Amino acid sequence: MNWNSIRALVVKDLSLFFRNRFFAFTTMAALVAYIVIYLLLPAEVDETLRIGFLVDQLPEEFTQQLEAEGLDVFYADSEADLREAVLEAEVTAGFAFPEDFWSLLAAGSTPGVEAFFPADLPQEAKDIYVLLLKELTFTMIGQPLNIDVSEEILGEDLVGKQIPLRDRMLPMIAVFILIFETLGLANLLSGEIEARTLQAILITPLRVRELFTGKSITGIGMAFSQALILVAVTGGLSNQAGIVLLALFLGALLATGVGFLLASSGKDMMGILAWGILAILILILPALGIVFPGTITDWVKLVPSFYLVDTLNRAFNYGISNQLAFTNLAILLLVDILILWLGITALRRKIA
Amino acid sequence: MTNAIVADQLTYAYEKVRAVDHINFEVAEGEILSFLGPNGAGKTTTVKMLTGQLRPQEGKALLLGMDVVKETERVQARIGVCFEITNLYEQMSAEENLHLFASLFGVRDYDAGAALKRIGLDGRGKDRVETYSKGMKQRLMVARSLINTPSILFLDEPTEGLDPVSSETIRSVILEERARGATVFLTTHDMVEADKLSDRVAFIDGGEIVALDTPHNLKQQYGKRALRAQIMDADGSLVNREIFLDQPNTAESVKELFAGEQVVTIHSEEATLEDIFIQITGRGLVG
Repeated sequence: MNWNSIRALVVKDLSLFFRNRFFAFTTMAALVAYIVIYLLLPAEVDETLRIGFLVDQLPEEFTQQLEAEGLDVFYADSEADLREAVLEAEVTAGFAFPEDFWSLLAAGSTPGVEAFFPADLPQEAKDIYVLLLKELTFTMIGQPLNIDVSEEILGEDLVGKQIPLRDRMLPMIAVFILIFETLGLANLLSGEIEARTLQAILITPLRVRELFTGKSITGIGMAFSQALILVAVTGGLSNQAGIVLLALFLGALLATGVGFLLASSGKDMMGILAWGILAILILILPALGIVFPGTITDWVKLVPSFYLVDTLNRAFNYGISNQLAFTNLAILLLVDILILWLGITALRRKIA
Repeated sequence: MTNAIVADQLTYAYEKVRAVDHINFEVAEGEILSFLGPNGAGKTTTVKMLTGQLRPQEGKALLLGMDVVKETERVQARIGVCFEITNLYEQMSAEENLHLFASLFGVRDYDAGAALKRIGLDGRGKDRVETYSKGMKQRLMVARSLINTPSILFLDEPTEGLDPVSSETIRSVILEERARGATVFLTTHDMVEADKLSDRVAFIDGGEIVALDTPHNLKQQYGKRALRAQIMDADGSLVNREIFLDQPNTAESVKELFAGEQVVTIHSEEATLEDIFIQITGRGLVG
């Protein structure tokens, strides 16, 4: 390996990258925007659940039991107020009691209660609210449910320390920064093929393996450095920094391999953008599953970036065991090698 | 004198089209050989095989005694190539372009300023190449091909479509390189340029070399030399006369011309390389 030649190539590539105003601007602007968005999002999660009631007065024992369940009570003046509170998301559910509710209950009748829920509340949650109300009213009329439930939280109990949205988003942003670099690298390579400058380079003593080493260093360097800035500024290195850094490095390697593939597939910038956006969408999917839990299923493990996202998410937010980190990163490394090999092979064919 | 370039049965086909078909030739050290032929004749494919960009499908090429396929790295370290199509880093300056390639060739303390001065680009070294004219870019391409002081210089259509100043600058550099001892392999379809510069020319057509010799010998062998005179006849009108040289009665015809006629103008005319190419192949060099 002629490292002087490789160094000259890397310096040239970085210089050309930042002379492309579009990529230079979008790269820097995107990085700043991601950091600003992260910092603007709330750092804590409001864990209180508010329930609205339209009722003359709730017995003190009833409200005490609600508070014991972690619920906050809101009293509406009218049914219209209650409906509005539900619609404006001031409460997660609203219950309108008839005026003589408690006397009917005491008389053994079955009074009707109207429940109001927001449209996006899952059915399971609605059922839980109704069950809770029934249980409480049973208790109020001296018929407590004779069940003693003991709770055991498997894993760390996150009550009081729920993961805020911005920290759930952090793996997605990190992966996005890494993957976005594929476009820059692919455009750089494709531009060289189109302008035939690679032809000139390859007629010097520089070998093809040195060319790809140089391109890989450029790709990994650009992707890794930006992701590193992001996680450093957002505190992502405060937990398990070694694992995070290794994951980011392997993510940058993945981005480089994808960049090579894109450069071999697109004829010009538009072609690269078209394929690149598709690649970004696929690779970002596992991260969406973290931001919006329950939206994706196990097939997402087939997407190579899953192992990167999973590692980063656990390291940032929960702590990841060494064994799981090793498994994830080993799979990621194998996928990286495969994609890099595919990318280099495809690109060599195109250059030839 | 040893041979700098030996092409032995070189063959290359693009799918069903045979671009170069079993060609053989040698170029001596310090010689300028021009490859003449129309577009698509196989000139560039030959250059690509000789410079290690294409692997010959048959035959072999030796440069400076080294097999191009087996010792590509060593060969490429000692050659310079100026491509037919401009392939410079347009967003970089001329100096940056030259320094990059000096690094790739491992040339230390490269003097880009002197190189640019040599090709008439002094004072423009820090300008981005994208601001250059076609002629300036081509001159820079030539300067780039000289970075490693090559033993063999390949120039693929170096003056095509250029202004006279740029063309002349490049021709001067070619002759200087020959004087230094470099071998020059020039492809062109500019027969005047080939005639001016070349020690020998090879005509290539349909992937085959159809003639290879010095321009003088080719003209002797294939061309007709003539004297063209304009004379004034008795009633004062001008008439053109043509006397072919190298004929048994040439001397007599010339004597008659000057004895009996009033010669207004007279000049000799030699066949051009294009005339000869047409004579050999039945078609012109352009197209």
